[in-house]
Amino acid sequence: MKKSIVSIATAFTVLAAASAMAEYPEKNIEVIVPFSAGGGNDTFVRALQPLLEEKLDTDIVVRNIAGGGGAVGLTRAVASDPDGYTLAAASNALQTLEAMGNVAFTSEDFDFIAKVLEEPYVVAVSGDSEFDSLEAMVTAAQEGRSVQVGVSGVGSSAHIAAVAFSDAADVEFNIIPYPGGSETISAAMGGHVDGVVLGGAELRSPLQSGRLKALGMSYEERSDSLPDVPTFKEEGYDLSLTVWRGIAGPKGLPDNVKETWVSAIEEIMAEGSFQETADNLGLDIAPLYGDELDEFITTSAQIMREAAGDLAQ
Amino acid sequence: MDRDTGKPLFDIFLLVASGIGFYYATTLPSITSAGGITPAFFPKLLSGLIFVCAVPCFIRDSLEWLSQQRERDYKDEGVRGDGPKSAVAQWFFIMVLIIGYALIFERLGYLVSTTLFCFLAVLGMVVLSGEFSNMSSVEKLKSGLSYLVFSIILSSSIFFIFTALFNIPLPN
Amino acid sequence: MLAGYIEGLSMVFQFGTLLAIAGGTLLGIIMGVLPGLTSAMAIALLLPVTFGMPPVMGIGMLLGALCGAGVSGSIPAILLNIPGTPSSVATTFDGYPMAQKGEAGRALGLAIVASFVGGVASMIILSLLAPPIAEFALRFGAAEYFSLSIFGLVIIASVAGKSLLKGLIAGLIGFFASTIGTDPIVGVDRFTFGQLSLLTGINILPALIGLFAISQILKNAFEYDPAEKITAGRHKIDLARPRFVETFRNWRALLAGIGSGSVVGPVPGAGGSIASLVAYDQARRFSKHPEKFGTGHSAGIVSVESANNALLGGALIPTLALGIPGEAATAVLLGGLMIQGITPGPMLFADQSGTIYGIFLAYLVANFAMLLIMCLGIKVFVKVLMVPRKQLLAAIVVFCFIGVYAVDGDVFNIYLMLAFGVLGYFLNRYGFGTAPVILGLILGPIAESNLRRGLQTFQGDWTPFFTRPLSVIFLGVALLLLVATLWQNYRTSKKEKERKMIHDENGMERHTS
Repeated sequence: MKKSIVSIATAFTVLAAASAMAEYPEKNIEVIVPFSAGGGNDTFVRALQPLLEEKLDTDIVVRNIAGGGGAVGLTRAVASDPDGYTLAAASNALQTLEAMGNVAFTSEDFDFIAKVLEEPYVVAVSGDSEFDSLEAMVTAAQEGRSVQVGVSGVGSSAHIAAVAFSDAADVEFNIIPYPGGSETISAAMGGHVDGVVLGGAELRSPLQSGRLKALGMSYEERSDSLPDVPTFKEEGYDLSLTVWRGIAGPKGLPDNVKETWVSAIEEIMAEGSFQETADNLGLDIAPLYGDELDEFITTSAQIMREAAGDLAQ
Repeated sequence: MDRDTGKPLFDIFLLVASGIGFYYATTLPSITSAGGITPAFFPKLLSGLIFVCAVPCFIRDSLEWLSQQRERDYKDEGVRGDGPKSAVAQWFFIMVLIIGYALIFERLGYLVSTTLFCFLAVLGMVVLSGEFSNMSSVEKLKSGLSYLVFSIILSSSIFFIFTALFNIPLPN
Repeated sequence: MLAGYIEGLSMVFQFGTLLAIAGGTLLGIIMGVLPGLTSAMAIALLLPVTFGMPPVMGIGMLLGALCGAGVSGSIPAILLNIPGTPSSVATTFDGYPMAQKGEAGRALGLAIVASFVGGVASMIILSLLAPPIAEFALRFGAAEYFSLSIFGLVIIASVAGKSLLKGLIAGLIGFFASTIGTDPIVGVDRFTFGQLSLLTGINILPALIGLFAISQILKNAFEYDPAEKITAGRHKIDLARPRFVETFRNWRALLAGIGSGSVVGPVPGAGGSIASLVAYDQARRFSKHPEKFGTGHSAGIVSVESANNALLGGALIPTLALGIPGEAATAVLLGGLMIQGITPGPMLFADQSGTIYGIFLAYLVANFAMLLIMCLGIKVFVKVLMVPRKQLLAAIVVFCFIGVYAVDGDVFNIYLMLAFGVLGYFLNRYGFGTAPVILGLILGPIAESNLRRGLQTFQGDWTPFFTRPLSVIFLGVALLLLVATLWQNYRTSKKEKERKMIHDENGMERHTS
């Protein structure tokens, strides 16, 4: 009896797979955003939504499933059928959750379709701060001063990045978690902390106005959005990390689904209409697909795990 | 339904719950950041305070309850509580129905579960409150049908507003 | 500046822009009426629509949604005792009792006008004083936030029912519930019992809707009696019109609302939810008839509603002047601004371009649109009360479910709502009240995390909490208010006892005679 159910189920899956082969997409695609409406992940998907709908010739339903810092939505995404009709907005949060050991899934349980956007982690201080370089800040901490570094959210990716940086510089910062980016920024502006580690997009406006100044950022090479800010590597700290956003699905997505999506995103990027939106948000377009993407995910997951291990102690 | 028996009972509930809360708070790991207080500090403080505040409440409410008992001994047996006779049944009915609705909300999808819930809720209230028994069978059928129509219209119009107008997906 | 305003005028007063603002306002109003759907949600949903629009038109539409949703939350609060957002909790205190007297239309009329006045006043404050107010908000460090939250917790005394002790317990329950989830400083899981949805703590919205709406449903189910027919006559529909004169007659309450909305609103992360409660508390303390508050007093509604809309202007201050959004709605709005290529910050004000003035004017227009739409709709809203109660009951449950589900798409929030609903029902029934629970839930995390964050920043030193000037002021005022409340409470209970004794003696005499 059991066997026959299994075989029927397999038959259905094969049928479903076959029909998926034939034509994808043939119905609405649901994209799970594991955060409430209005967050960085949500804005990313909603900004891309009209462009994708045009290219894929179907409706994209954005479903916000928030809770647990992305844990609830991503758990749901992993559990859904890998038919290409339920995908998720993936980001560092996925690896952060994995590294902190809060969730049952790992990045192995996902099939990553594309990475679309990137921003660096930036170390910034108040505009009138005594620190004018990363070195000055690190030296102060080495001399035994309590250098307070604000981050957005306990156990967040920014928190982990701050820990990773202090490991790379071999110092102890007094890392102070704030509930979110805006609270962290206002603490730095008001002089309540010495510095902050945050994503570049959140810091865009205060950096432009000069209220905060960036001392360093976590890209491998300098970026177009922050051309004057040196990388950690330039300053002699061996760390490169990025905040990334992309699209992923549960493990086992059919190849044609991946192909369809990749070509749609490639077309959008080539047309350049998304460029302006990304620029305005302070994000860099850095598309990555296929094997290169898998490699990127593996490396960054590794860095996150190591840093989070220190955090958990 | 004696309105006032619940009062001291609820105080007891608070005492027990805050005790359990305090117990769990003591099991939290005591990690501190530089010069800070532990994660367990506030849960312990708060559950302790709830307990301390609930004690006088319990004493006061129990005394009040006892004096009311005595009063009732020589006063006429008046109808206590503020609801109609079927109040308790209605309360439990809606409570159970809402819990059931929550359980089937994602499983059966929005449209089916909502229509079912609305219909049963309205029908149940009518039956329990005794409104139904005063009707003729034709009236019964008529009003039953009208509740069904109401349920279908309500659930489908909300469905339309949310999915088509607001673009908020509902479970299906 | 004048040139800027003229340029701004030319941007706003175009047919398309005006239409977009009105449309945004209407959508905001519709969403604000539904429990659980907030202005943040309304703005997020409109965001993709604005991508193709010119800046002032797009932002105007979003501001319309912000204004509309901020105001229309008062409708269910007044008519059904169901606040859809934390900021309309205080609206229920006097709005619902007034509606129960059959004067729902009057309550709505007051709420609409007070909101409008609050919104316009806050727009004027925003346009004139945004940069200095924003700088002031930056002075809030951990010590100041902690003291502010203590100041806020004293409000429990004002919103507690008859028994101060029971109100305090309710507040503590909320505070305790707020410690559930990942601890904000060292990241330890507290009371989550492996439930992923609890990692980030208890969501305010499901808790709020449970405590107020579901508990009210249970109460209605308990009291449901078909013999008690509500007729249209009992609800004086002709009362339903905007109340300009009556609103301005309550000028003290109006000032209290505008003041607290504009001062507390800009404080990032703390202002939004408590501004209206602070306003209610202040209006009551400085009123000649504090005893009338909570019984359907017009000043109560005016203070809360003017604060509710003034705080939106207040919340826009740090968003526009510093690029720091105070809460979810302005955070989404900030995203909208940045997508349009407008970078908020001091420069936005400094370079005197028409855009910033266009935004101010758009917000003003949004307030007028809100006034117009609400005035047209007021009679329709009141008619909700003529829906037969059993159908209304079922419909409210459905709306609560969807509202709570739509925000985060997580069924767990529905269970959470039900749990708080049952708790709220018993808390109300036995005189604890539910408003203090919400206060504890909102202010608790601010108090705890900032105390601990402060201790970490000051390396275990407690003195900065008592030496930093702003912090001392808040703590001092909190203490003063607490003493005043206790004194007042003591005197009223003494008076009541005397009265009761006289009453009892009379009763005895009658009994013996």
